[in-house]
Amino acid sequence: MRLFEAAHIFKHDWETVSLANWRKYPNEQTPHVRHVEILNQDMDPETGILRTERLIMVQQPVPALVRRVFGGDASYVLEYSEVDPQKKTLVMQSQNLTYSNLLSVGEHIVFQPHTENPSHTLFTQSAQLKASGALFRLANKIEDMCWNRFNDNAKVGKLGLEQVLSKILAERQAMMQTSQ
Amino acid sequence: SIDSKCTPLKREFDACFTWWYSEKFLKGEKTNDCEQLFKAYQACLKTVLHEKGLDKMIDDARPSIGSPFTGSGQK
Repeated sequence: MRLFEAAHIFKHDWETVSLANWRKYPNEQTPHVRHVEILNQDMDPETGILRTERLIMVQQPVPALVRRVFGGDASYVLEYSEVDPQKKTLVMQSQNLTYSNLLSVGEHIVFQPHTENPSHTLFTQSAQLKASGALFRLANKIEDMCWNRFNDNAKVGKLGLEQVLSKILAERQAMMQTSQ
Repeated sequence: SIDSKCTPLKREFDACFTWWYSEKFLKGEKTNDCEQLFKAYQACLKTVLHEKGLDKMIDDARPSIGSPFTGSGQK
């Protein structure tokens, strides 16, 4: 099993970063994310918590070994998230649907105000990658390759979110100018 | 959308959702402005998910991510 961890501070408030999360795709930084569908969504009338289930389709070139073992380069991921507007937390958990008998990738993400500077947002990400024992001596190599790809995707994912944040900022400035 | 026939419905819902999220939800207003658009989009998705055989995979993965939802596109 391989573990992945990353953290980043976005220099925008939590409300803006959580909005950027919903507006993230499609994004030219993350062409591997092909489709994102909202399967289910509801809001608890008491707590105001927004619960969302999304289906994400990912496709990107993969090393020949991975393609051979998995039989393809496209996969579906299921994501469940909760946004608590009072506590200012966006928590997401996702799991791969495709190839799940060969490799399990579970990812946990949290967006919350940065404790040292509440006008900024702390992003924390952790993931577990576990290849099936049925892969025998290939299991470690597959885990390594998938961890490397996960790491690459995490980097461009962060760039993608920064790009959306810049766009939101530009839209707000444009709106302020037109209303003057 | 994973099926182009759902793309127009998805676009309409997405536009409504991002507006609702910043103008209502984040401001503490508990309205349900996008409900009709979501239902139309969900209905289209439901048939696509079934055609692609994704229903069972989705249901099987739900416990691992703590999703409270059941069925495909139903509350």
